[in-house]
Amino acid sequence: MKTKTGFHLRSVLGEHIIVAEGVENIDFSKIISMNDTAAALWKNFEGKTFTQDDMVSFLLDEYEVDEATARNDIQTIVNQWTDAGIIE
Amino acid sequence: MRDDIKTIQIANEVLLPEVVRMTDEGHTVTLPLRGYSMRPFLEDGRDKALLKKPAAIGVGDAVLAEIAPGRYVLHRIVAIEGDAVTLLGDGNLTTEHCRLGDVKATAIGFYRKGRATLDSTSGRKWRLYSWLWTRLRPVRRYLLAAYRRIWLKLFKPI
Repeated sequence: MKTKTGFHLRSVLGEHIIVAEGVENIDFSKIISMNDTAAALWKNFEGKTFTQDDMVSFLLDEYEVDEATARNDIQTIVNQWTDAGIIE
Repeated sequence: MRDDIKTIQIANEVLLPEVVRMTDEGHTVTLPLRGYSMRPFLEDGRDKALLKKPAAIGVGDAVLAEIAPGRYVLHRIVAIEGDAVTLLGDGNLTTEHCRLGDVKATAIGFYRKGRATLDSTSGRKWRLYSWLWTRLRPVRRYLLAAYRRIWLKLFKPI
């Protein structure tokens, strides 16, 4: 999978938000906020092609978490990102 | 990690400077509208404005202006005298004042009723509505009251 183009992570007063950015237009009716972990994942994989396993490895490298939990969390995030339409 | 993604509402004093930063960078910005001050054309929580950096600012324009530090309104300009700008929300009876430099963005159109097509401010519908509504200002108080007390009780927002 990969992150869709036109969705960029911005930091607005401590909140990580993803705003839909066309070449021209930025749509504030479609704002997605992320926690620190999700934002770190997004930052790492933005613009790349990656697998769910890559995301799990990233979590295991960066955070104190066991593999089962990491897999679970990544599954949740992937579902949410899919629902939000920010990955394809 | 359940709340990794959610839709959020950001306070105006935080969101609007960010919007202005983006229009200043040359982007257009789609902004969901809050409040009733641009009734009857624009409805709270329903409609969105398409904004851009102001080029030529004129009477009749709907603009995003910072009327006090951190306080923004999207209202219509009803007068410009030198540097002094007078604003009035279509659904309001009292004016606000600011300087030309406080006019941060101009509305180039509105997305109404969930539609994907823009009602452009250079289009026929907006210009006709603006012409009519501006001329009805002497009786606006009664029209707005009737709209609120009768129309909205019987029908949906216009």
